[in-house]
Amino acid sequence: MYCLSEKQIDYILKDISARGVEMESLQLNLHDHICCIIEQNLEENGDFESFYQKTIKTFYKDELWEIEEETLLLLTYKNYYAMKKIMILSGIYSATAFILGSIFKIMHWQGASFFIFTAMICSSLIFLPLYFLFKTKETEEKGKKIIIAVGTFNGILFCISSLFKIMHWPGSHILWLMTIGLLGLIFIPLYFFSGIKKPENKTNTIATTIILIIVAGFFFALTSLKSSKHVYISKSYHYLQNEELINRMKQMKKDTTVQTKELIKLSNDINNACVKIKGMIINSELGQSIIPNDFESKNLWLEECGLDREFIPGEVGFNLVVDLKDKINQYNTLVKIPSKIIPIENSLVKMTDDKILGFSNYNLLNHLTQIQMFILQNER
Amino acid sequence: MNYSSELLKGTLKTIVLKLLADNKKMYGYEITQRVKELTLDKIQITEGALYPTLHSLEADGFVTTETEFIGKRVRKYYSLSPTGKTKTKEKVSELADFMETMKFLLDIKTKTT
Repeated sequence: MYCLSEKQIDYILKDISARGVEMESLQLNLHDHICCIIEQNLEENGDFESFYQKTIKTFYKDELWEIEEETLLLLTYKNYYAMKKIMILSGIYSATAFILGSIFKIMHWQGASFFIFTAMICSSLIFLPLYFLFKTKETEEKGKKIIIAVGTFNGILFCISSLFKIMHWPGSHILWLMTIGLLGLIFIPLYFFSGIKKPENKTNTIATTIILIIVAGFFFALTSLKSSKHVYISKSYHYLQNEELINRMKQMKKDTTVQTKELIKLSNDINNACVKIKGMIINSELGQSIIPNDFESKNLWLEECGLDREFIPGEVGFNLVVDLKDKINQYNTLVKIPSKIIPIENSLVKMTDDKILGFSNYNLLNHLTQIQMFILQNER
Repeated sequence: MNYSSELLKGTLKTIVLKLLADNKKMYGYEITQRVKELTLDKIQITEGALYPTLHSLEADGFVTTETEFIGKRVRKYYSLSPTGKTKTKEKVSELADFMETMKFLLDIKTKTT
């Protein structure tokens, strides 16, 4: 049994450190381990140096610090690779699905909602939380960790509020304001004041803060530019007033004696088509074909937006509108009295078919209401 | 015969936990020697595998450590924590079950002498 001198014990510890093992607890482990091997296996007057060199080589394949690397891998990055892979894949999916969803939405193709919905859910529930996890592992500073946490939360809130906005779900406006509020009032100041303290980060912090303020301001402008719910409530009331007017006109005694059977049938067809198209427009937004009288308390007002995919060429809504235009033209040829002709200048009838999709929902509703009113007026 | 490191990798935690359960407290070198002794040199745990595993078990809270000075050097003793004791039982029964399944899967006949 070999007896190690204090000098040799110190030498071994220094050598372990020099070979790149930095973790103190691991250094101590290896130090004691090697000392034990030498004490147990080296003969009393054996050659310490050569035995030590031979022994230490059995600890690793290429370098001693491999053990520390393996330890760190096990400690810090449990499931590291799988998580990183999931993060990257979820990020790629979110970005791709969001772009595809946006294109589908603009083109009024089917599946837009699916892409946007899954993109937002994927980024807010998988990508951003994992990104937060990796980012916080990179830093030891508590302050930095807090900023990353607030930033991630802000990102998640941004995704959720965008999703609510795109899907027209209730509460989207409040969520959107909360996102901008958190960004402008908490995240940006927090980021700015923590970064500005360090001289090496000063310029970078100022530049990034300016960009963030521009982004926050841009989002805020977008929110303010969009009509508030009061405008939509008022528009919905106007629509209901017009509907009431149509009903009252219908109840009036009709004078159809001067009209031919063909004309009566045409006017009925036109009216029915108008009711049907209106129902489709409202249904695509509210999930029901009429705006109820108590829409305000039920949060069911109609927001102004583009027409749904039912109105793209070839679809039911589009065909109904084309058919309606045709019927109005027939009506105008049959009706002999010039004062009873439905004016077509600057109206739906004069527009080419490819312009139909360019209408907003309220725009088309107004056109249809006017057509109904002209017909009813002719029958008084 | 020495077993491949791939085979040992999945069982090392269980081996270490079981040894600690049977021996109260042990230090690294002692663990490698005990394994060697019990398996008649068939299993030789390398330092490169043992210490990362011990650190990982410590981080998981399954083992606790205490240090002792042996002259000029420090020795770290490992012992099971209460959660480690429960974990050991789980791990050992899991491995036993796994071995049964492997026997069945690979159609290994147990020697009857």
